[in-house]
Amino acid sequence: MKKAFRLIIASFVSAMIVIISSCSPDACFEETNAYLKASFCLDLTKKIKAPDSLTLYGLNAGGSRIYDKAAKIQPALLPLNPSSDTSSFAIRINGVTDTIIFVYTTYPHLISKECGYTFFHYLDTILYSRNIIDYIYRSNNSITTKNEENIRIFY
Amino acid sequence: MRKTFAYFIDLFLLLMPVSSMAQDTVSFPLKIRIGADMAGPGFYLSDKNNLSIEGYISYDRSEKTAWVAEAGYLDYKYSQYNYNYLSKGWFTRIGVDFNLLKPDISAGKYQAGIGLRYGLSLFSSETPSFRHDNYWGTTTSSIPSKTRMGHFIEVTPGVRAEIFKNFSMGWNLRLKLLVSGGGGKDLRPIYFPGYGSGGKRTAAGISYYITWNIPYRVKTVITKPETPEEPEDTAEPDVSSNQQRSVF
Repeated sequence: MKKAFRLIIASFVSAMIVIISSCSPDACFEETNAYLKASFCLDLTKKIKAPDSLTLYGLNAGGSRIYDKAAKIQPALLPLNPSSDTSSFAIRINGVTDTIIFVYTTYPHLISKECGYTFFHYLDTILYSRNIIDYIYRSNNSITTKNEENIRIFY
Repeated sequence: MRKTFAYFIDLFLLLMPVSSMAQDTVSFPLKIRIGADMAGPGFYLSDKNNLSIEGYISYDRSEKTAWVAEAGYLDYKYSQYNYNYLSKGWFTRIGVDFNLLKPDISAGKYQAGIGLRYGLSLFSSETPSFRHDNYWGTTTSSIPSKTRMGHFIEVTPGVRAEIFKNFSMGWNLRLKLLVSGGGGKDLRPIYFPGYGSGGKRTAAGISYYITWNIPYRVKTVITKPETPEEPEDTAEPDVSSNQQRSVF
């Protein structure tokens, strides 16, 4: 009986070590922001081409720029405002400025226990000026943390 | 005298097959077991945010298998820099235990084997607040309390040993596979009763049981089955026919 008791205690202690070590909190290594991913295409050739210069910022977002005269951005990552059902952006492609307004719905999504929650969106409408933008093609309305293109901007 | 000797020879020959058909048996007490988990309250001493209470009842169907029903309650609270989470509710698991020890070793006192379970959990979960930061600033929100149902299956190896008469102790490792946690793909429960971390497809846990055993029947188990008497090969080879063939 002593032998059985020892065996139980020893195996329990080893199992506890395994369980406790697996319960230790982990850091968050996952993407926590759901960006709208916009690819750029030349309207002339219909081929994907990053602008030579891209400036992007949200209207009424405090003035900080997402991209500032950045080159070779493909795709551009546009953060939507989860507190609102519209987000407006000023976009300057090769020195010419346009405005894009996104209308969408927002819902919470659990990333993981370590990372917590984020917001996903479902794209409803896109409104835009056409100074340099020729048209915008919608390829995927679901805006998540997945690396999937949502719109294609032809310029 | 010759007649008496022949009688003894006959009696010996008569008893011979009986002794070769003998089988070994062991009396195996079949039991009803009622147990309480000590691991959950043990963990609660170190983490007051996680109270888990559970117990089980099992019924020996035979010396090898037992039906098992388990039930428990969980009250779980979790908090980190960007959210708070609450989960509270009941769970039950039903299944079967297979004792892999031989009946003469087990003797109704020791068990080492593996169990299979189906688990059902009915619980409420709530995220009283969570925070998300992005380019537009900080957004705070909450997910109200909602009753959900979770399903999972378990493989649970474990051991038990009788320490005192009709009292045993032992543990079960729990390897769990999530079937459904409720909440869909967006709002999976972070933690739910009976399963644990609902954000993951697989989970592991441990139960440490103190068990009261109630013997209800003694079964005679054959440990060494009877060996049928092998027929003696007394037939003489048909030499003559072979000879005939060879001659032919």
